[in-house]
Amino acid sequence: MAMPILELRKLTKRFGNLIALREFDLDINQGELIGVIGPNGSGKTTLFNLISGYYRRFEGEIIYRGKRISGLRSDQIARKGIARVFQSYVLYEDATVLENITRCFYLICKTNSWQSFFNTSRYCKEEVTQRAEAEELLQPVGLAEFRDSLAGKLPYGYCRLLALAMALATNPTLLLLDEPMAGISHEEKGLVINLIKKLGDQGITIMLVEHDVKAVVDICPRLVVLDFGRKIADGSPEEVTTDRKVIEAYLGVEEG
Amino acid sequence: MKKVIPPVVGLILVLCFPLITTDPFILSLVIEAGVWAIAVMGFVAILRTGEFSLGQAAFMAIGGYASALVTINLGIPFWFGLVVAGIAAALVALALGVVVLRLGGIYFAIVTLVFGEIVRIVASNWQSLTRGATGLTPSAPSTIHIGNITIDFIASKVPFYYVMVVLVLIAAVVFWRADRSRLGRIFRSIASNELLAEHMGIHLMKYKVIIFAIAGFFTGIAGAFFCHFTLFMGPTTFDVWDSIMILIMGIVGGTSSVVLGPIIGALVLSAGGGYLTSALMVGMKPLIYGIIVIVVVVLLPGGLVDLGRYISRAPRISSMPAVRRHKKRGD
Repeated sequence: MAMPILELRKLTKRFGNLIALREFDLDINQGELIGVIGPNGSGKTTLFNLISGYYRRFEGEIIYRGKRISGLRSDQIARKGIARVFQSYVLYEDATVLENITRCFYLICKTNSWQSFFNTSRYCKEEVTQRAEAEELLQPVGLAEFRDSLAGKLPYGYCRLLALAMALATNPTLLLLDEPMAGISHEEKGLVINLIKKLGDQGITIMLVEHDVKAVVDICPRLVVLDFGRKIADGSPEEVTTDRKVIEAYLGVEEG
Repeated sequence: MKKVIPPVVGLILVLCFPLITTDPFILSLVIEAGVWAIAVMGFVAILRTGEFSLGQAAFMAIGGYASALVTINLGIPFWFGLVVAGIAAALVALALGVVVLRLGGIYFAIVTLVFGEIVRIVASNWQSLTRGATGLTPSAPSTIHIGNITIDFIASKVPFYYVMVVLVLIAAVVFWRADRSRLGRIFRSIASNELLAEHMGIHLMKYKVIIFAIAGFFTGIAGAFFCHFTLFMGPTTFDVWDSIMILIMGIVGGTSSVVLGPIIGALVLSAGGGYLTSALMVGMKPLIYGIIVIVVVVLLPGGLVDLGRYISRAPRISSMPAVRRHKKRGD
C-alpha cells in the first residue's frame, strides 16, 4: 500500500482540564475522501485546528507526506498544500467576491514581489490570467454574477460557497472542509455535494467534518466517528452506522 | 491618457510654486508640510495592515539624530546623512517590529507610544552623544556649484523646497507602488482578516515587519531633512505630540489612499493650520486643530480625500442588497 498522505499520531489537545482530543490516530491515503462525524463538542473542529496549525501547542505528531508538520505556523502548513474552509464566517468581508478569490492566489503566483512592485509585463500578464482563473472558479459555485458584490453583503449560503471556491484557489492537495453544509439551503447543499464529489474525482484528498450525517454517508466512502475527543469508529458507512458505540453516542440521539 | 493628466498638472503646479511666492514664511510652512506628508504616508501604510503605530515621530527623531551626528562628527555631507538616517530608522523599526508586532492591536499601539517616550528620554539623558536638552545643531547642506548655477541653501528656502518635493515624490512612488502591487493585496488581506490570511499562506509577521521598516526608512529621512532645515535637533523636536499629529493628519487626510490622503492631511493641518494660527489667531493652534478634526470626522468619515466623491455623490455600486446574516465568530 502507498504511504499515507497524512498521518496523525496520538494527537492530544487539552484546554485546562478539558481534553478536547485524546490520543487520536488516523492515516489518510492520497485521494481519499474521508468524513469525520460526531456530536457537538466531540473534537472535530479541534482536530482541524491542529492540522491547519491554528493551535501549535499539543501532544502527538502530524506527518504530512513523510514530513512532520506539527508545530509549524498556519502559513507554512498552507504553503505545503493543505487548505482549510472554516466552519464560521471567515472571508475578506470588505473586498469584492472576485478580489476574495484573487487574494488566495498568493501561494501559486509565479512572479515575485519585486516584479509586482515594478509592474513588469510578466506581472501584468499574470494578473490578467489570474483574474480569468478567479472568474472560472466562481462558475461552479454559481457566484459568477456576484463577482463585484462585497463579500460581507452576501447571504450566508453564498458565503460558504465562496469560502469553498477560495480554498480551491490555492490549488490544494489536502482539503479540510469544516461543516461546509451547515446553514445552507437545499439547492446549495446539492451544489456543494456535487462539487466535493468532483474534487474527489480530481484526486484531491478531502477531510470533511459535517453534522449532516446523511450527506456524509452519501459522499464519503470512509467515516471516522469522534466522541468526547476519542475515535470510536473508523470504516465504511455501513460498518460505522451499524456500530453499536456510534449509535449510542450519536446516531441514536440525533436521528431519533 | 486621462489618468495621467491630473498628476502631471499637479506636479507642474508643485514645481512652479516658488515662482508664485518666495515668501520664506509660506515656503517654510509648505516644506514642513512635505516632511509631515512623508511621515503620514508611513503611518497610513502601517495602518493599512491593521496596526496603529503611535510612535512614528520616534523614527523621525532617530533619523534626525543619526543624520545630525554623522554630519557633525564625521563630516559626511547632508545627502549621505539622509541615507544614514533612513537606514538607522529602518533598522530600529525592524528590530522593534520583530519584537512588538507579535502583539498587534491595542498592545502594539501602546508599545509604540511608549517607544516614542523612551527615545525622547534616551535623547535627553545620553549627554555625551546627544548633548541632552541643549541639542545638536546640524548644518544646512553646503552650497552647490553646477557650472554657472549656484544653489545656496542658506540664502533662500527655494532649494529646500525642491529637495522636499523630490523626497516626497520618492516616498510617494514607493508607497503607491507597494500599495498597488501584490504587497498591497497582502496588506489588505492581513488588515481584513488575519486568521484567513495566515491560513492562505501569508506570513503575517514578515509582511508587517516589511511595511514597518519601509515606513521607518522614509520617516527617518523626513526627520533628518527637517532637522537640517531648522538647524536644530533636540529631544523634544519630535515627541509624542508629533506622533499624535501624524495620526490626526492621517485621519483628516483620509486613509483610503496611501499617498493623496497623507499629502492633503499634512497640507491642511500642518501648512493650513500653521498659517491660520500664526497669521490670524496666535495661540489658538490646538483649538483650530480640534475644530478641523471634529468637522472632518463628523462630515467626512473617509477623510478629506473623499471630498470629491462626496460632492459628486456617486452612488455606491452594489448589485446585492444587504442581507442579515448570522455572524459566528471563533470556532
